[in-house]
Amino acid sequence: MELKIRKNGNNYIIDVNGEMDLYNSYKLKELVMKMLEKKVERFIINLENVDYIDSSGIGALIYICSTIKKMSLQLIITNIHGSVKKVIELTKLMGYFPITNSIEEAIMQMEE
Amino acid sequence: MADKTYLSEIKEIRVDENNPLFDKTGMLYKEFPSDYRQIRYFTLLIVQSAPLEIKEINLLEQQISEVIKNAVKHGNQCAVGKKVRVWYSFDSTHAHLIVQDEGEGFKDLEKWNEFNRKRLEILSAQDFESLADFVSFRTQKSDDNDGGNALFAALEYWNGGFVFNDSRNAVAMLKSFPQKKHAIG
Repeated sequence: MELKIRKNGNNYIIDVNGEMDLYNSYKLKELVMKMLEKKVERFIINLENVDYIDSSGIGALIYICSTIKKMSLQLIITNIHGSVKKVIELTKLMGYFPITNSIEEAIMQMEE
Repeated sequence: MADKTYLSEIKEIRVDENNPLFDKTGMLYKEFPSDYRQIRYFTLLIVQSAPLEIKEINLLEQQISEVIKNAVKHGNQCAVGKKVRVWYSFDSTHAHLIVQDEGEGFKDLEKWNEFNRKRLEILSAQDFESLADFVSFRTQKSDDNDGGNALFAALEYWNGGFVFNDSRNAVAMLKSFPQKKHAIG
């Protein structure tokens, strides 16, 4: 799994590439925690290039989401598709995560 | 507005050693050491015998990997000398597995069912604030790498049943795949 950060205005987009599994999902969690230390306030996690997620990956997203919600900061998870979407649906978390279909939509929602 | 679909059929993890899903007749067999680093590799060794017609093979692989991970980590506590034994059979209509470890068994099974029942009630009420406390099942042994959500998905995915034996160190599961409807005549 590879993580890249890019900036769009005040939004920080994290592009996740690869598989979010039991061996590497902690990396995303660690990255977000570091960004929170650096006072980043708006996060977009882009899962466009993620085709596999397991319960550790879902766990990492839950941890990130609940931490950011508690701090009253902003998070959107975007481009969820295929088996990643299926796993989130099976776990019944589609309503729990803030989700958009595209980065553009995420940015628009951040501005509202 | 309450969404009753979550409550229409509250699924539970059952304990039933005499369940037909424990019938190993005609199933293939592999056993593995409880090596955490190799969980996905072991899973692939099993999934490779699944026929190509099965759609969403990634999802099948992920669901099998979760059960093997539970056996390696929570059952055998990653003791490499302890085995995980897997019986499996696949065709285009179904996936049937039995996964057994050498651990003490799933002691918190009733607690898990209770937790899941509350989780589904909260989902039904669409109370997303309270849901925050019910997105992850934790025990004293849980660590940071445990998502605590694998069995929620497992119970939904294994639509033909997800059943433990009496000592709760083996679980049998069945997934039926939707079939294409062929026109008659």
